[in-house]
Amino acid sequence: MSATTFHTLEEALGDEHYPEVDLALRRGRHIGRDDGTMYEYLVDAQALLEAFYRRFGCELIQQSDGYFYLLPSGDRLGRRQLSAGEMLVGQTLALLYLDPATLQHGGIIGRESLLQRLSALLGTDVLVRTLDPRRARRGKYDERIAAEAVRTKVGDALRRLADLGFVDVLDDTRLRLRPALMRFAEPVRGLGDRSVALERLVRVGEVVLDDGEQAADEDASLDEEPTP
Amino acid sequence: MTSAPPSNDPNRVIASLARDQVNLDLKTVDLCFLAGLYLRADKAALASFEEDVLIDMFEQVCDVVEPGAENPRKRATHAIQRLREQRMLARVDGAGIVRAGDYALTTLAAAVVQYFLTDEALTRESLTLLTGTLSAQLAEVLAAAKKATDTETWKSKVSGPLRVTVSELVSGIERRQRGLDAQQEEVQAEIAKLLQSDWFSAVDRCQLLLDTTTSTLSELNEILLRDTHLFVALLLEIQGLATAAEDRDAEETVQRVIEHVDRIAAWGSARQQAWSEYYQYVHRYLRDVVRLDPDRALSQRLRDQAAAWPTSPFFVLVAHAPSIRLLRALEARVERPPVARPRTEREADPEWVEPENVHADIEALVAQAIDEGASTLAEVSSRVLPKLPESLHYAAAGRVADAVGRLARVHGEHERPWAPVLSRLEVEDWTVDGRDTP
Repeated sequence: MSATTFHTLEEALGDEHYPEVDLALRRGRHIGRDDGTMYEYLVDAQALLEAFYRRFGCELIQQSDGYFYLLPSGDRLGRRQLSAGEMLVGQTLALLYLDPATLQHGGIIGRESLLQRLSALLGTDVLVRTLDPRRARRGKYDERIAAEAVRTKVGDALRRLADLGFVDVLDDTRLRLRPALMRFAEPVRGLGDRSVALERLVRVGEVVLDDGEQAADEDASLDEEPTP
Repeated sequence: MTSAPPSNDPNRVIASLARDQVNLDLKTVDLCFLAGLYLRADKAALASFEEDVLIDMFEQVCDVVEPGAENPRKRATHAIQRLREQRMLARVDGAGIVRAGDYALTTLAAAVVQYFLTDEALTRESLTLLTGTLSAQLAEVLAAAKKATDTETWKSKVSGPLRVTVSELVSGIERRQRGLDAQQEEVQAEIAKLLQSDWFSAVDRCQLLLDTTTSTLSELNEILLRDTHLFVALLLEIQGLATAAEDRDAEETVQRVIEHVDRIAAWGSARQQAWSEYYQYVHRYLRDVVRLDPDRALSQRLRDQAAAWPTSPFFVLVAHAPSIRLLRALEARVERPPVARPRTEREADPEWVEPENVHADIEALVAQAIDEGASTLAEVSSRVLPKLPESLHYAAAGRVADAVGRLARVHGEHERPWAPVLSRLEVEDWTVDGRDTP
């Protein structure tokens, strides 16, 4: 932990952690307690950095679950909306995060249990149509190839969610869930109407309902067709 | 066939286990049968069991485990045979078919049963007792080392006690550490189960479980840190004396015990670290998830949201500043010449070389060795290999075995013994019984 709380912005920006934290936040990373000194730096410098980032047209948000992230409110700093794959995988991981069974292993789950939960939640057909709409549009698809495509899309989504600090990829089979996953549960955290909560989140720039940007994103997507 | 490695070489041990196709297949009834025998032997101080006692015990176990099973006597016979094949029961009377045998549990069977019967976990009391005894034992060994003047005394008063008594005590601590590991896993499962069934009402019980295990681990770690430091200091002093007396055996024994002690100390800090991470995770979960959602409504609402997401999607927004681009320095376009190599005559005339016919020679040499009366594969190999270049010995040994197999009548025991060939090779030996008539 930093020895003292910073008194001036100059001190905060002069700290050795600043460059790394700044780059991570601007790339959309959620910095949580698991990030150790980076998180502690943000706690110490929070008051100064909030005003600093507001000048760039974005908010430095701290959630009670114990993580920070940068939320662009204007056009000065780039932003992107998560893809359909990332949204589905993110919500399923949030469900697993809430599941007491995950506690037994300290928040570590296997990729298989993610795929099982996804499949149980949505069914294979909906999964294929949502994650691989081009294949689904072609009509009848081979189940084996479609399943492989879904696994690839889920793998890609996981990789990007890991870059954003929602999950840690420990190895080929295991993932550690991070509190930032609770962002996917924000619309249903209150006991009120979900659509009202969504409206509020849209208003503050946390989420968008329109998938116009999404379509463009998908076209330039990093997702690749699985080899048949 | 192989070069001779040391006997504790893991590769060799694994290869030998694989070659012997070692496996264990114990059914519940087998385990209960073994446990019954173990407890009866313990209670009545029996060293072995008569066949009737075994059958009687099996029938009793069968009544409990599989009531109504037909023909228990026949099943007992099969069970005894199965356990003998798996080296769980050993016949100890040596009377063969003359009369019914006496059987004893093997150390393997005893270890398996002990694992299920004993509940040895490390506690403050057991650890203090063990470390106290170990400390006294090491002090005694140190005193003996100071007085030791000859090899025999070093062996009986230092190396021996270190190898047996001290190692046993250290192993005792290690065994109990494994017991505590199992207990911790149970606590973790228990916490998950409590929350699964009682959710908010389980918070206090979970907290209690967490705190109890935390304080146990912390106490044990303190004792381990303090005492292992003392053990290592004593052991280093003994090792110093062994070095001065130039007793290599004692020196190596002390080194092994030091490594063992280091391992039990490392266990303490590793477990405390792992538990601390788990503790923090669960604590956060209780605070941020359970206490904020006492009715456990969030999971259901999130499940509904995710299931309905394809029909009413929304997308989370994140910052996305592109990485800084480093532009390359401007440079004029360079015409790269096509890849080519100089013209030259690449066809060379063939050269005369000495003929190589080693493999054909092997067959002739093997035939000659067998005709001269070599009676084992090792003997044939020992006669043939010296006539070949040394660099080919390893590969040629396989070809010799192949040629022997084709040219002669060979017999191999079920457990083929390893026999040395020259100075650097060993082969699994066969008996060679003259040339095979075509």
